[in-house]
Amino acid sequence: MRNPFQEFQTVSFKKKNLPLSRIVRAKQDVMAHILEGYLNLVEAEAKDFVWLVEQSRVLKTYSEAVKYVQSLNYDQDDIEEFCGELDGSTKVPYVIEGPAGIYVSALVNQLSDDRVVLRLKDYQKKFHLLGYRLPVGKTLILQGDIGDFTGTGLAGGCLVVEGSAGNWCGAGMMQGEIRVAGTAGWKTGEWMKAGEIHVEGWIRGVGQNILGGRIYEQGKLVSPQHRGSQ
Amino acid sequence: MGEPIIGCNMKPKKDGALREAVLEIYNFIGENLYLNRPDIEINGDKFNSTLLMSLLTGLCQGKELIIGEPGLGKTTSAEYICSLLYCFPLGTIWAGEVSGHPEQTEEKIIGRPDLGKLNQGEEVVVWSHFTMLPVKIVDEINRLPETKQSIILDGVDRGNWEYLNDAVMNREYCLFATANYQDRATHTMIAPLIDRFDLMVESKYPGPNLAYTIGAQSAKDDILRHGELEDEFKSVLNEKTPVGQRLERIAELRARFGEALMHTSGIRSLSDSERRTIRSRLEAVRFDLDANAFLRMVLAELSFCCRFGQKRSQDNCEKGCHFTEYLCYAVQTCISNRLPMSVRIFSQALAWLLGDKEVDLRHLKAILPYTLAHRIQWKEETIARQEREARSDPLEIHMAKKAVKNMHRRYMEQGTQVKNALAVACRIVEGEALEPIQGDHPIYWEISKDLGKELIQP
Repeated sequence: MRNPFQEFQTVSFKKKNLPLSRIVRAKQDVMAHILEGYLNLVEAEAKDFVWLVEQSRVLKTYSEAVKYVQSLNYDQDDIEEFCGELDGSTKVPYVIEGPAGIYVSALVNQLSDDRVVLRLKDYQKKFHLLGYRLPVGKTLILQGDIGDFTGTGLAGGCLVVEGSAGNWCGAGMMQGEIRVAGTAGWKTGEWMKAGEIHVEGWIRGVGQNILGGRIYEQGKLVSPQHRGSQ
Repeated sequence: MGEPIIGCNMKPKKDGALREAVLEIYNFIGENLYLNRPDIEINGDKFNSTLLMSLLTGLCQGKELIIGEPGLGKTTSAEYICSLLYCFPLGTIWAGEVSGHPEQTEEKIIGRPDLGKLNQGEEVVVWSHFTMLPVKIVDEINRLPETKQSIILDGVDRGNWEYLNDAVMNREYCLFATANYQDRATHTMIAPLIDRFDLMVESKYPGPNLAYTIGAQSAKDDILRHGELEDEFKSVLNEKTPVGQRLERIAELRARFGEALMHTSGIRSLSDSERRTIRSRLEAVRFDLDANAFLRMVLAELSFCCRFGQKRSQDNCEKGCHFTEYLCYAVQTCISNRLPMSVRIFSQALAWLLGDKEVDLRHLKAILPYTLAHRIQWKEETIARQEREARSDPLEIHMAKKAVKNMHRRYMEQGTQVKNALAVACRIVEGEALEPIQGDHPIYWEISKDLGKELIQP
């Protein structure tokens, strides 16, 4: 066959990669690494058959998660995309909700951004343990209703829930602030040591063992309660 | 010669006697015979499109369709060009013209039997002047009914005129046809005939001031008339000798008319050998890589269909097609192979005339609208969107100009990548193990098809 492109033989070509495809490829690489870290974490945790929210277990899982996450180069969008993968993708073969939330928290806490916004309202799944150990100087805004143990062990950060929180919100928090636009569930602030929880809606139940800090319900202080106000 | 008229600002460049002669003819007609405004600018020089394209048609043996309102110089502009480029007096050109009307017959257009000889049992054809002369003008071609338009189809295409068992082959010829806008007396031009025209231009109203000047000109045609020679032309053409012999004698008469023209008006016409030289020179003008790649892009947009393999008049585009923004979505039919032939030769002619060594994007941009205007069959919704837009051209040329502008914009965005894709394709055909470059334009798909690789439909 005659070469219909003969006149272009002398053109020294340079294969140009479109920026979009380069960006997509980079994003895919990042997500693959994030998923790999999560699956390693879950594999280690699944050995125990049942995953319970115990302080030592949570701490251990968090430490493992931080180890994976530290070496990754990612941004807020990647975290949000990872939440999407947890919500319904086939890339995540099994989701254990405790480690999943801790892993997301580790991703948030290790990110260099001071302010992180996660849009979760479109997901079917309720994410638990978000905002775990959120450090000083960091603000995490969660858009949508979220699951249990939100802001557990909060370490000085500011956690804003633009929706409702489940049970054990702010459990064991050490310092910082949690603001919930909707309602909060049972055991809110259980074992909290310091900091403040503001719930604009109602609180189903405040924790029985609160060591310090303040809890406000619809602007009114509900913990600690003043003597004689009961 | 009078004072320079608006629009004839082109001065011959001192780089070729033949080019100078052609530009002098352009200027002579523009200043004395066909007064009109310039309406296109190429490389800083302003031209009247009708005159320029007619000149190029005459130079490269083309076929031009001139449209316009009655009395605005469609036929006369062609007559002047033919007279000066081919060295015929106007009277001879008029004698060879064919008028389009419903009663026109093959015998009047092409030739008739010699009745005297026929009575003696001999079949001899008396060829028409139109058939024998190298300059052919069909006036008001769209007044010929569709059935009669096919009489001239073959002759228009190949210069091959047949009657009974005889034929005349024109070795050199150009054709100009004029057409009025559609009215009750006109017919639709059949698609095969219209596709055979290289160009379509409009002879525009020159404006009231030039029109006043035209009205004040007396007997301007006399410049190109020569009664004595016209009689001699007529008697030679009517001789009953072989056509070849007659044309040899006609050549002598043309030379005499050229001398007379030089003597009386100081304008030099072109000889047969000079026209041949010009044609060989302009055919040697190469396309630069941008012009080459741009023309491929244009052809791709006008022929591509991702769903049905190519444009076909009976296929309709899918709503929401990925290629909605390209011309393939706006046109009904696939562009013919005559388009690149017309574009090539006319761009080469323009580049030669302007003294440029290669055909580049500027030449293509100037030529493309006139080669596309009559060939593109737009979808009705495309026409409906554009017919009320402000414009200075007839709708067909306006839409073609706009389409070329849009395609040129796309080429400026993607030109480097398109050239890369063509270069990679060249190496793949030569056996290198490379992947074709992909992109968001029909040209990339067509390249992949040529390489035997189909792309996934978006």
